[in-house]
Formats: sequence, C-alpha cells, structure tokens
Amino acid sequence: MLLNLSLRNLFRQKRRNLMLGIAIGLGVTILIMASSFSRGIEDIMFNKIVTYVAGHVSVNMNEGLGKRVPVFRDKERLFSIIKKNVEQDAEIDESFGVFTRAIGNGKADNMILVAIDTSKRYTEERKKEVRESFNVIGGSLLDIGTSAVANAVILSRDRAESLNVKKNDVISIRFRNVFGQNQSERLTVVGVLQNDNIFMQGVMFCELKNVKAMMGYRPYECANIHIKIKDPKENAVRVADKIHSALTPGPAFIAGKLSYLSSESEVVVIPFRGDDDSIRLIGSSFELLDGKMDDVLLRDGVMISSNIADKLGVKPSSEVLISYNAKFEKERGSFKVQIKGVFKSDVYKGDNTIYMHEALFYPKFYDRIPDLDKERARVSLPEVLLSLPESTNKDRSNTFLPEDLNKKRASALGLTDQAYFKSALGNEWELLDRTRNTDEMRKKYAAQARKKIRATTMDVNSMYESASDVLKLESVLNIITLWAVLILFFIILIGVVNTLRMTIKERTREIGTIRAIGMQKRDVWGIFMIETSLLSLFASFAGTLFAFVLMWLLTLIRFNVTDNPLGILLVSNHLYFLPTFGSVLLNITLILVITVITAYFPARRAANLSSAEALRHYE
Amino acid sequence: MNIIEIKGLKKDYPLGKTTVNAVRGVDLNIEEGEFISIIGPSGSGKTTLLNVIGCIDTATEGSVKVGGAEITIMNDRALTDLRLHKIGFIFQTFNLIPVLDVIENVEFPLLLMKKHTKSEIRKRALKLIEEVGLKEHATHRPAELSGGQRQRVAIARALVTNPDIVLADEPTANLDSVTGAQILELMREMNKIENTTFIFSTHDEHVLKYANRVVKIKDGFIMEG
Ligand SMILES: Nc1ncnc2c1ncn2[C@@H]1O[C@H](COP(=O)(O)OP(=O)(O)OP(=O)(O)O)[C@@H](O)[C@H]1O
Ligand SMILES: [Mg+2]
Repeated sequence: MLLNLSLRNLFRQKRRNLMLGIAIGLGVTILIMASSFSRGIEDIMFNKIVTYVAGHVSVNMNEGLGKRVPVFRDKERLFSIIKKNVEQDAEIDESFGVFTRAIGNGKADNMILVAIDTSKRYTEERKKEVRESFNVIGGSLLDIGTSAVANAVILSRDRAESLNVKKNDVISIRFRNVFGQNQSERLTVVGVLQNDNIFMQGVMFCELKNVKAMMGYRPYECANIHIKIKDPKENAVRVADKIHSALTPGPAFIAGKLSYLSSESEVVVIPFRGDDDSIRLIGSSFELLDGKMDDVLLRDGVMISSNIADKLGVKPSSEVLISYNAKFEKERGSFKVQIKGVFKSDVYKGDNTIYMHEALFYPKFYDRIPDLDKERARVSLPEVLLSLPESTNKDRSNTFLPEDLNKKRASALGLTDQAYFKSALGNEWELLDRTRNTDEMRKKYAAQARKKIRATTMDVNSMYESASDVLKLESVLNIITLWAVLILFFIILIGVVNTLRMTIKERTREIGTIRAIGMQKRDVWGIFMIETSLLSLFASFAGTLFAFVLMWLLTLIRFNVTDNPLGILLVSNHLYFLPTFGSVLLNITLILVITVITAYFPARRAANLSSAEALRHYE
Repeated sequence: MNIIEIKGLKKDYPLGKTTVNAVRGVDLNIEEGEFISIIGPSGSGKTTLLNVIGCIDTATEGSVKVGGAEITIMNDRALTDLRLHKIGFIFQTFNLIPVLDVIENVEFPLLLMKKHTKSEIRKRALKLIEEVGLKEHATHRPAELSGGQRQRVAIARALVTNPDIVLADEPTANLDSVTGAQILELMREMNKIENTTFIFSTHDEHVLKYANRVVKIKDGFIMEG
C-alpha cells in the first residue's frame, strides 16, 4: 500500500519530480560514462600498452659492462624460477629491444627493434586484442611471424616516412650482437603501424626468434622476460618482489682441471670483484708467497693457492690452462691465464683454488657456463664458498658484511682474522635492488653504471616502475571521477532536499490527515523514502540507458589524432569505453545511497509533524 | 456507559512570549451512541477540544478517558493505534487523499489496520459507499466530486473501521445549507444504524436541531450542556 501511494504521489508533481529525475539520471549517466571511460583506459594501459611495452612484471638482464646485451645464459633455469613464483595462468614471454641504425630507401634513422614472440598459439581473443592495440592497415602485428620473407618487420608510420619505405621494401639495419660486435642484417617490411603515440614512434617489431638468431643467441639462452599477470594493479608489485627474492644469486665459480706443462690438478676458479672496496679487501686478506699484490689486483690479475703452485711448479708469469665441463655444450670450456701471484692456501681460501679478477672471469664463465649444482656435488669447494652465509644481495652494501661481523663469523669457524673477504667475491649474476617508482629506478641505474659491475645485472621491475608515467594518467582519471561523484552528491543533495521540502509543505494537511486516520510515523517516513528511492531508481535506469546510448554514439566517432600522446587512449582511432556490470551496479547503488541519505532527514521531519498542527495548515 | 470522560481539561498554546489558554478547564462526559454537537463562537476552543478527544493533540492538564483508557499518558504509537481502531475523523475541508479514488480512500484505514483480507476490505468499503449513496462514483477521484459528495466519502472513510467515536470538526462549514443538511442527515442516520457516537462542532445554530445533545463552549469554558 505504501508503495502504491508513493508511486501515485510520484506522478502528482510531475514537473518537479521530472526535473529531479533528470538531474539524478544525468548524474548516473555521467558517473557510468566516466567510470567506463576510465576503465577503458585502465584496460588499454594495463592489458594492452603496458603488456606489450614492459609487461606487468619484467626481468631485465644486462651482460657485459658496456656491451648492454640482454642475455641470460640459462633460459630453462630462469623460466623455472619465474614459473615457480607466479600463478599458473601468468603469461611469461621473452621480449627485448635492440638499438639499431636503420637504412631505408636512401635515408637512415635510429630505431629500436622490438622482438616479440608470435610463435606461441594466440587465441582468437588475443589476436583481436593485438589487432586493436596495434593498428596495421590491411594486416596484423602477428604478420611478423611469417616465414615467406626473410626477417619480416613492421615499423611505425613515423619511421616508415623517415626511411622512405613501404610494404615489401627492404631495410638494412646495423646493431651490436650478443658478442658485442657490430653486425648488419636485412629486414623486409610487411606492414606499417598506424598507431601514433609516444610508445610506438621509433619502433619496429620483429619476430623474437629471428631477432635472437640475428643477435647470436644460442638456443638455451634467453633475453628479457615480460610477465603478464591477473589483476596487475593488485599483484604486480607483490609478484615482482617474490620473483626478485627467488632470483638471489649464488657465488660464481668454475670447477675443472688446471694443466701446467704435463701435470694436472683439480681446481676451483673464483672471481673477485673489481670495485675499490673489494680490491682493498682482497689485498688485505691474502698473503702472497710469490709475486706482487699490485699485479694480482689488476684487471688481468690471477693468483693461485700455494698448494697447487708447489705441486705443479707454477710461478708468477706461468701460463696455465683451465678446462671444465659446460652445462649446455658438449665441448669443454677452456681458457689460458697468466698467473700473477701465489697466495698462502688454507681451508678457507682453498688448497686448490685460483682467484681471478672478475673482468677476466666473467667473459669465460658466461661464454660457456658450467653446471654449478652438479659441480657443488662433485667437488669439495673451499670454505669461503660454503661457510659464511650467502650474501643476500638485497643491497650491494649488504654484500660487504660489516667487518667485525665477518671477523666474528670467521673466528667462530676457527679461521684467521683475515678471512672476511667473501663479500668481495663475485656472484653468478648481480641482482639489482627493487625500486618503487621510475625515479628510484633511474637513480639505481645511474648508481649501477658507476659501480662498473661485470657480472650480468638482473633487474626485476613491476609496471609501477617501468611504466609509472602511463599509470599516473590513471590516478588523474580517478581524481576526475571522484570530483564528478562529489559534485553529483551536492546536486542531488540540493535537489532532493529542496524537492522534498516543497512536497512536504504542499502535503502538510495530507500528512496530518493520514496521521489522524491512524498511520504510524514510520510509515509516513516510509512513503517519502520510497517515493524518493523510486524516483532515483527510475532515473538511474533511464540514466544508465542514456549512458549506453551515448557511449555507443561516441565510439562511432573516428578520431584522427596524429602526433598526439593522448592517441594512446584510443583503440583503432575510436574512444574506448569498458562498462562492466559491476561498475554500473556500483554507480547506481552509489546514487541510490546518496538519495536515500539525503531524503532521510526531510522524510523524518514530515513524519514528526504534529497531526493537529498539520491539519491547521493552510497554504 | 460513558465512552468519553473528561475532567479538568486544560490546553495552553505557547504563542510567542505569551500563552493562549484555548481550553481552560472542561469537564465533560459523553455516552455511547450519543449524537452530540459542540457549539461556540470562533476561537472558543471547539477544534482544540475535539483534537484532544481525537488523540491528535495533547492535553496540558486534566484527564481524558476514551473508551475507559486514559489517553494523556499514552505515547504516540499507542495514540495512533487508538485513532486507527476507535476513532473516525470528518474534516471541514474533507481531506481526502487526492491520488486515491473514492473506494481507495474509503479502504485506506482498513489497509492500515492490516487485519482483513483484500476482498473483505473491498466488501466493507463498497457497503459504506452504498450507504452514503456514492455507488456510481466509486472509481472517481476526489477532484471529480462535489463538496457534498466528498464529505460523504469522508463519512464513509470515518465509519469504515467501525469506530466507537466519530469526530467531525465543522463538517458542514464548507457546504451550502442544503448539502450541509443532507450531510447531517446522513451522519444522524449512520449514528442510528451503527450506533456510533458522533461528536461534531459547529458555530451554526441551524444545525443544532439534529443533535440529541448540545454542548455550548465559550472562551475555553463549557457554558451549558
Ligand atoms: N497552535 C496554536 N497556537 C496558538 N494558539 C492556538 C493554536 N491553536 C489554537 N489556538 C488558539 O486557541 C483558541 C481556540 O482555538 P480553536 O481552534 O480551538 O477555536 P475554534 O473554536 O475551533 O474556532 P473556529 O470556530 O474559528 O474554528 C483560539 O484563540 C486560537 O487562536
Ligand atoms: Mg475550529
């Protein structure tokens, strides 16, 4: 009955209620459109741009000081570590960019050759997504997977113009390969990318396997890893942290045979770091029986334990051959080094050890990596590689344990005071600290460049560092939406309160009558609440409908934005709205809650009117 | 048996800094089935008295018993309930609910009672509409009726719950004398059929002949009756 009465009352002051209804409805329209637009942008950012530019989480490698090659020499190991630390449905892809100098038809320009893996099976949905994200006229980005032409490539319109090339033309590029040598290659243009946004300008895309072959990657080696996860906003940082701590490296060493003249011995080769602190630590920790410490600490410095030196007759300036089993190649790794010093061996430093400057060690080590797990089981390693706690490498400074602590641990093991140099030894790779944003990340890179790290650096980033500029846009949008909600709140507040006040005034005698007849206060209150709720419910539905019509109309418009960074917010030159059932429901609920809250007090005032007073009321 | 017993009733209204003594000490007993008229000049306190009896206004002092129950100590909820079940109202300005048609207006108090089925309610409402002679207009909205017809609807609405008392504050004041007379006839008739106590106020001497008892009130005092 209350419902019936409210409904009829609603149609009584048609004009007034229509006005309020339109206000509320428009509010809903604005809210739904704003949130759908912002969700659309979020979708573009998180699932399209960020995914293809950097991944939600990325693991980036850098091998060889100055060479800047994104390579990790044990693909399987890296993938298995990552897989263990992400959800089952995460997509793990190799991807990297190579700086190249490209020459087209009489013109040249600098470009980044981006390698993406199209070889895995794409679902229809993903194919469509790729088509929408990368607008290639008359084709798809996935065309680079073709084997009909050599090294198919798709490049940005910007660069197609500057190189004066079109489809089926050949571009030749020059770049530096994995070995740090300059190399040229010919690519065939199979398409031109129409997207004109900051991310796509100087870019050309090429199939991962082609780029890896050009660059000289071996089958068991991999490049940077991009990981696409579910709910990246929630999980990206957590997953990045988790992968980061799983990627803590162990100490690097090569266990093999040392040959000198006609005699042989087992040997463990250990790198020491080349930075000033480490050099000082090594210099003060080792006692040379032969040779000069100054020579040992140079970039080609090598020292051998007195135990094998005595056994084989090795002296400073002797050239020895070291050979060992490689993990992936049949052929054994082998290299010659010239000994610069002989140190006094002990259980800690090892009786059969060679310590070598990292500049000398890592090129050999990475060129043919040994199977360290296997070697650990096979040979007995010197205490230094076992006893002291493995450096957590959270922070580079942490790898240098405080001296007193190192000494304490060493003496607890019954070792001499000089044995605290573990922190000066090199690891399998160098894990960079996690950072929280692009700024920190840049600082980290600058600091890392100064340190001249020789081991492959490994860097785990979430999109919040690698794509934080893009993500900033999202928070701007959220602020806009929040403002829209606030303004709507006040419009509705004023509208509802005013309308109700007028209505209540008009109906005062009626309220007095129904109260006299015997309606309880609560029901009078109910009538007004139901009335307002119904109004806002109808208005919300109308507003929702209107929002969908508007969004549909807006997506029909084609925008031709060139060289406008905001172009990234379009999908194939059209606005992109992503209304979800949940968000629409949420918006309608929000409006309903606002109206109910604002109607509460006027309705209560109406219910509390004294019946006698109300009946006396004449307009 | 006295359906209403009033003793030493006073009602003051604060008006700015002063107080208006609308009723200044009224003792009044009304028996069941009476058809009683309260007469007095404008401002004499008729409406005030009826409002207190009808439980829509509170007494400042004194005791008011309706059907044996002391109403001056009841809370709003109980008073509302009492109004719904025991009292019917007829207003000078008819006060029908404009969005409801005749039959819905009459059904309204029964719906509030939540005691009867839909068909019972409809039956009872139709019976009363017939009794007040508006069978043909059952589906009309109040705006489509004349004043007299509206007051008939109000009478039907007041009686539909079978109340003990019907209070009518100047029920004929907004009607011409012929129509007013018809309305009073009707009320009188209903009083006889249903044996409902009727209390109506008026300042029109002409209508006194319908009453079987007249209470004269002036300046908040009962002068006679
Ligand atoms: N809410 C109020 N506030 C202040 N004074 C009031 C109020 N209600 C009534 N009065 C005063 O109380 C006195 C009695 O009023 P009441 O309405 O009972 O008179 P009445 O006999 O019904 O008059 P009428 O014939 O004009 O309807 C009057 O002087 C009036 O001004
Ligand atoms: Mg009066």
